[in-house]
Amino acid sequence: MTAAEIAQQSVYRGAWIIFMLANICVPIISLLIWRTALANGAQLPVDERYITTYFVLLGFVTMATSSWMAAFLANDIRLGKLSSWMVRPASLLVKFVANNLSEKFLKVFALVPMIGIVWWIFRDSMNLPADAGRWALFAISIVLGAVLVFTIDILIAALAFWMDDVGALVQARVIIASVLSGAVVPLALMPSWSRGFVDHQPFRYTVSFPVEIVAGQLTGRDLLAGLGIQLGYVVVLGALARLVWAAGIRAYSAVGA
Amino acid sequence: MTPVHALPPVIAAHDLTKTYTFHQQTAGLGGALKSLVKRKYETRLAVDRITFDIGRGEVVGLLGPNGAGKTTTLKMLSGLLYTTAGELEVLGHTPSDRKHDYLRRIALVMGQKTMLWWDVPAMESLLLHKDMYGLSTAEFDRNVAELAELLEVEHLLNVQVRKTSLGERMKLELMAALIHGPEILFLDEPTIGLDVVAKARVRSFLADVNRLRGTTILITSHDMDDIEALCSRVMIIDRGRLQFDGGLDDLVRTAQPRKLVRATYATPVDGTRLDGLDGVTAVDVDGQTVKLEADRERAGVVMEQLTRLGPLVDLDVADADVEDIMRDLFLRRSTLGDAS
Repeated sequence: MTAAEIAQQSVYRGAWIIFMLANICVPIISLLIWRTALANGAQLPVDERYITTYFVLLGFVTMATSSWMAAFLANDIRLGKLSSWMVRPASLLVKFVANNLSEKFLKVFALVPMIGIVWWIFRDSMNLPADAGRWALFAISIVLGAVLVFTIDILIAALAFWMDDVGALVQARVIIASVLSGAVVPLALMPSWSRGFVDHQPFRYTVSFPVEIVAGQLTGRDLLAGLGIQLGYVVVLGALARLVWAAGIRAYSAVGA
Repeated sequence: MTPVHALPPVIAAHDLTKTYTFHQQTAGLGGALKSLVKRKYETRLAVDRITFDIGRGEVVGLLGPNGAGKTTTLKMLSGLLYTTAGELEVLGHTPSDRKHDYLRRIALVMGQKTMLWWDVPAMESLLLHKDMYGLSTAEFDRNVAELAELLEVEHLLNVQVRKTSLGERMKLELMAALIHGPEILFLDEPTIGLDVVAKARVRSFLADVNRLRGTTILITSHDMDDIEALCSRVMIIDRGRLQFDGGLDDLVRTAQPRKLVRATYATPVDGTRLDGLDGVTAVDVDGQTVKLEADRERAGVVMEQLTRLGPLVDLDVADADVEDIMRDLFLRRSTLGDAS
């Protein structure tokens, strides 16, 4: 199914390049702004190497853990398009999982060369752990982050079983997540009074935490605790999404002929 | 051959009921603002305690005016909707459980919704179904070859779906729905929007599928030609209630117990001689042509009278058109319903 999705989506190859250019522009601009601030003597709780590594990796992690499913799934529920999938012997979400995986597959082709160039430019001022274990944890954390984002999307989209339009919720989630996930400003730069909340809220584990594993500053204990919390969120939100989804299917009205 | 009704039913519905809850909003800005603060919810009974059995291999037409409850019934049978009350068993399953074993044995085709992916050739969707339904390559190839030949779509399998015409797309939809050899096929307006040639092709294909594979077919359609061509049995649903369940012939006899007779003569005739003839109504004489309606039991006597009117050139005796019968039936019911 993922292969079929790739075949379908590769029709829009031009769009992928533009998407990815947009995806990498914000981190690069942020990187340049923060480096300039540091060069001008700004006092930050992190150094230039951390900032540089953070923003170089940010574009990749954001892409890898992102999901655009909520709006599509909500639309399918609202317009009754889910019906076509409900009469087939497969998970209803299989289409969206395949769509998500194929999206990632195609984005990697467009994004990796761009990140490679930025990486090469800043290669001397980045923290790159020599330890293969850290890179393995980075990969695991990205997978968990992707599952977490997907689960949050299902939860939001499932509200369309009861609400006429979840567009506002989807938009609110995008705005909140962009701040709380660390996609705009590194969470390490958030005010100290907000630390307890910022460090433990779920959005941190969708983007910031995987990047932090490589960018540095996390002790072995922090790493284990972080992965535990990330896994916990995946399990709890996954169970909640399952419950809401099952209740939603009961309320589904399969609009339209 | 075993009679259809001697076998256990593949579909058994008892007091099947479905209600929908929705909110009402008055038009205009005022209504919109009011609905922001307070919403008035209403419950609508879409299907009201209907009971029926369908045997294996039957082709049954589900008829009724718009909003009568026939599509809701079809959606409950295919597992898309939970029932509000009543019992429903299809192929030994409760459809709303949507067990994969059940879904593998049915198919649903909705004339207004596509099951195919638009941006890729239909073959991609068929291959997806091959995996989803666990078909072996040999079985898949055999089914593709058989269905493509019956539907005459061999040349379309590798064309992007969105580049095909509506008629071609419907044929491909049917192919995708039948590739796994379902035991029951639910069809919701399968010929909607198709031209006469495409409609005829789809009808003859469905008849072939029923004859060759023994597939049970339940079809909703507003096109009476679909029903006449395919269905030996019809169920009429109106305002959620099952108003009629029986053979199409029975329906015609019950709803319109008269024969339509048209006689053409070599010379103009005097139709007044038919006035007052027992069992004859609505006589219309136009020069050399006489049109009238006669009671079935009196048809023989009427024919005899007609041969005496003048030199007969042509005589045509027919049942009333099913389309007209349905229109009269729905109009009468809605008038009665409105009056009550």
